Amino acid sequence: MKKADVLALPSMPLQSPTFPRGPYRFSNRQYMILSYKSDVKAMREALPEPLELVGDTVSVQWLDLPDGEGFGAYSAVAQIIPCTFRGEECNFVSQMYVDNTPPLAGGREIWGYPMKNGKASLHVNGDTLIGTLEYAKQQVATGSMVYKHDTFTRDHSVDLHLDRTQITLKLIPDINGKPAIAQLVGINFTDIAVKGAWAGRARLELTPAVNCPLSDLPVYETVGGLQIVTDMTLPYGRVLHDYLAH
Amino acid sequence: MTPEQILNLPSMPAASPSYPMGPYRFVDREYMIITYETDHDLLRQAVPEPLVPNVDGHVLYEWIRMPDSSGFGDYTESGLVIPCTFNGEPINFTAQMYLDDEPPISAGREIWGFPKKYALPKIEVASDTLTGTLQYAGQLVAMGTMGFKYQVAPGGVQATAQGMTKTQCNLKIIPDVDGSPKICQLVAYNLTDITVKGSWISPARLQLIPHVNAPVADLPIKRIIGGKHFIADLTLPHGRVLFDYVKDQAG
Repeated sequence: MKKADVLALPSMPLQSPTFPRGPYRFSNRQYMILSYKSDVKAMREALPEPLELVGDTVSVQWLDLPDGEGFGAYSAVAQIIPCTFRGEECNFVSQMYVDNTPPLAGGREIWGYPMKNGKASLHVNGDTLIGTLEYAKQQVATGSMVYKHDTFTRDHSVDLHLDRTQITLKLIPDINGKPAIAQLVGINFTDIAVKGAWAGRARLELTPAVNCPLSDLPVYETVGGLQIVTDMTLPYGRVLHDYLAH
Repeated sequence: MTPEQILNLPSMPAASPSYPMGPYRFVDREYMIITYETDHDLLRQAVPEPLVPNVDGHVLYEWIRMPDSSGFGDYTESGLVIPCTFNGEPINFTAQMYLDDEPPISAGREIWGFPKKYALPKIEVASDTLTGTLQYAGQLVAMGTMGFKYQVAPGGVQATAQGMTKTQCNLKIIPDVDGSPKICQLVAYNLTDITVKGSWISPARLQLIPHVNAPVADLPIKRIIGGKHFIADLTLPHGRVLFDYVKDQAG
């Protein structure tokens, strides 16, 4: 393969790039967002400077992604810590688990999404919206929420914050093991079309596991759940802060 | 978390890094390698310049069982390696790799540019046959068979250990956050502290099945050369940049 063609590759491997070029459109992307009060000191320690903590509430989110351009069908779990960057309210993505290589590799390599391989599931079982996460064969998270209890009674359009800036800490080593990339990356989803949103009672259980430490931000009190179905586009991001330049 | 702590992290996520700092020690690493001859024109397309593929058109189809790998755990890998030259020096180019464990996928891609994807490879001894299989997205895409410890390899464990010191290289591509290439390099490394515990050869057969996201069959089999089976302890260290496509383009 010619050098110019090598430079035009979107990703490894040369013979079948793991992910194509973005942006990436998601259809029928379903969220279950469970917010809970946690340990403020542990939350602050989990946030990279210069991000600043806001409040005492974090969330664990389940995502069912049945149709992601270039990525396919998969599920994910994320732990989100609300914060500010230069006064703007943002969401720091602290941990993420997926069961599919293209979003895992693309997520880490393009934006620095902190993804590891875990088996997430979000489904309706009887009267309950249920989210589970298995890591290394153990169930490490279980979330449950009432199913569409407030249909027609509330407009959630102001609570969703799907357009809020997401921040990730992108770390890529150089071949000598030293950091080649160490950046805070800002991401804003675009073309967001919400198809439905419901709030309701929820419960959340997190089990300690060393390689999937969601419970390092312990659940003190589950505040509530939010279910959202939406179409949205994940574009490229921008560098907010470069640790190697400072 | 302070900037100093962040710059000392070995990998993402900060909350529980996927992989620690290297080097990485492998104990009882078991290889099954079937060498075959393929189409010369297709081989040239699969190799990035300035690497030059071997004149014989040989490809190594590999299964590697790694039961004890520091930082990575217990996993199995399978894929294609193409013997090449770089500035006239022999070098093995890793073209495709499939494995069943996330830390070595992430570390492999992010440190050395190993072209790794998630799949289910397996090596097993089935009655008299050493058998390698690879499943990708629920489908069988490769199946190789060898006799089990059929004949001691010529030169024994010393010759095999010497062969394992050969320089290996990958095409490392990491995009920038805007999608442009941030890192685009040929990266080389050499295994160290190699102890081979046994090494055998035998006749072999190999079946590769076309699959778009695991295109092992894109280098079709014209002729099987033979199989090699060996078990070794070794260390995978960090590496060095051989060629930088971004800087080369900038002149």
